[in-house]
Amino acid sequence: MNIGFEKLFEEGAGRLLARASDNRSLGREAMVPRITAAVEKYLLKDDPDTPHAEIAKFIDEMQADDLCLIIACERGDENAWNDLVGRFTTTVRSAARSASKNEDAAEDLAQSIWAELYGLRTRKDGMPASKLAYYSGRGSLAGWLRAVVAQLAVDVFRKQSRLVQTEEDTDLDRLAHVAEGQPIVAGIPSPEESISNRFAQADIQQALNQSVQELPAEDRLLVKLYYFDNLRLREAGAVLGVHEATASRRLTRIQTDLRKRVTKILVDERGWTQAETERSFAEVAQHLDTDLESLLATKSTKGI
Amino acid sequence: MKQETNNEMDLLLRRLGRRDDAVVPEAHLDADELSAYAENVLPAAARARYTTHLAECSRCRSFVAQLSSSAGVVATTESAAVPELSGFRKFLASLFTPMVLRYAAPALGLIVVAAIGFVVLRRSQSEPYLARNGAAETQQQPVASPAASISDNYGYRMSDTAPSPGRVNEEKKEKHEPAQPASPPNAPPAVASVDAEVSKEKAAAQPKPEEQRASAANEPPPVKTEPAATPEESPRAEAETVKVQPVAGRQAKKELRVAQREDKDNLARAKKPADAASGSASTGFVVDGAAAAADMKTDIRTVAGRRFRKHSGVWVDTDYDSSKAAVTLSRGSEQYRALVADEPSIKTIADQLDGEILVVWKGHTYRIR
Repeated sequence: MNIGFEKLFEEGAGRLLARASDNRSLGREAMVPRITAAVEKYLLKDDPDTPHAEIAKFIDEMQADDLCLIIACERGDENAWNDLVGRFTTTVRSAARSASKNEDAAEDLAQSIWAELYGLRTRKDGMPASKLAYYSGRGSLAGWLRAVVAQLAVDVFRKQSRLVQTEEDTDLDRLAHVAEGQPIVAGIPSPEESISNRFAQADIQQALNQSVQELPAEDRLLVKLYYFDNLRLREAGAVLGVHEATASRRLTRIQTDLRKRVTKILVDERGWTQAETERSFAEVAQHLDTDLESLLATKSTKGI
Repeated sequence: MKQETNNEMDLLLRRLGRRDDAVVPEAHLDADELSAYAENVLPAAARARYTTHLAECSRCRSFVAQLSSSAGVVATTESAAVPELSGFRKFLASLFTPMVLRYAAPALGLIVVAAIGFVVLRRSQSEPYLARNGAAETQQQPVASPAASISDNYGYRMSDTAPSPGRVNEEKKEKHEPAQPASPPNAPPAVASVDAEVSKEKAAAQPKPEEQRASAANEPPPVKTEPAATPEESPRAEAETVKVQPVAGRQAKKELRVAQREDKDNLARAKKPADAASGSASTGFVVDGAAAAADMKTDIRTVAGRRFRKHSGVWVDTDYDSSKAAVTLSRGSEQYRALVADEPSIKTIADQLDGEILVVWKGHTYRIR
């Protein structure tokens, strides 16, 4: 590591301790390793020559109080531990409740979280293997605790929470396989047309898949959040740190962009004409639309 | 068209989403990375790296989605991204929003067109009357003597462009100068003998106008004084002051009565030859045919909720009561400005009705010249 960084981390640790409302009597030497790890993880990994000013700014933006509390807990400060439990019991319980099926499961999960944090297991060096070591101080301690609870909940309940394929999923799967030659709708006039439609659908679908993969990461993430994870725009926007209106505008732009990309692939690589592309888009979309209507009709009939 | 194409892409993407069989990466973001990403506190480069991972990893996406919803990131991000505008800037910005421009601009255009139309129509309506009045005045001048113009028959004076001695006298009174000894004998009385103005309505209703004129000549008018007030006083105070302050005591009153009598004598003198000339004894109006017809024609206007009838160039409030004293004001005088400052509607009336106006406002009568 750049030698100049050590001084930078020392000074940064001093500023964090001075800024903390309760520094738990920690010294700079307790803070520096944590600061170093955070800077390497979030700055130097991407740019080893990150300017000193940027590093200093990064350190100054860390959560001084939360970091001091966690380091003190890790060092066995009982008062700090009591403070941690007292301040964040509600947060942990709330996160556990939202990740669990019932109150008992939530209580069990919350207890296991505290055990994980306290470090009942020991590492090779004899120190307790506590998850507290992984808190960098970059984000809030409450947010980190919620993330720990969510991850642990998935680990604990992985087997129990396997998705049961519902009837609806089956129907959607049938819809998804229309392109592979299992049309469920009798709305297609002739076999020739049906075959050509299926080929067109397959081509378009492949081109679309390729286009999505070529999107910039942030656009691709939005597409995945909205279309693959079925999040609402507000939720997808929250992940990206933007308002839902911004997410909506972005999605509209991405749709337009994807259409251009798909058209270009079909014309350049598959030899389609522009007119064929336009017509096929409309036909495929109409077909999918009809599929959805048909699916809804089938479901309602079954319901009766 | 664009919406349709987007709908097509929407359907295709939904279908693609259902068929997602992407391989979930082996490595995942740890709790610290997930929470820092959800709270949007990562440096740009690190965030971009994690974004790439999240675009491929549904497991980490679900964590981040869950954490973002509970972290309340959106509000902080939005407020940081959009600088708070000041109140005035907000107001200005609101004036130029697309919605406002879409509806306000055509509405403004309509208002402008309507206003221009109104002004043009109003002018075209008023021009014939102006022409008639002008003709009437030119015809009246040789008939009526300088001392008693034709308008005196109606009891109130026409608005003269050149101030008569009497009018000068009035203005002096308004400025609170010492009371003048008397008006010149041949000048119209300084007092606006409003009662006579008594008006044409009454005159027309009388079966024998000559009798009325005779009685009017014998009996003093009910109105005693011409209102006068200091410029500092409000119009209401002016009227009250006038009652308490009959200029300079008894002597002034006497002079006033003398002037009134002289004025009526002049009136009677002026009428005789006119009556003889016109031979219109039944009407009692001292005008010849065309001029009389022009004068008889009245114009009715409603301004600021008041209704006015035009008689021989004077706009008379239909609620005007000749038994009540009128405060005389000249446009542009300090009193006038003080009055219109308190009662802007009177300014509206004075602006819209040109010439002399008799307006009844909140129980007071104002003669505006």
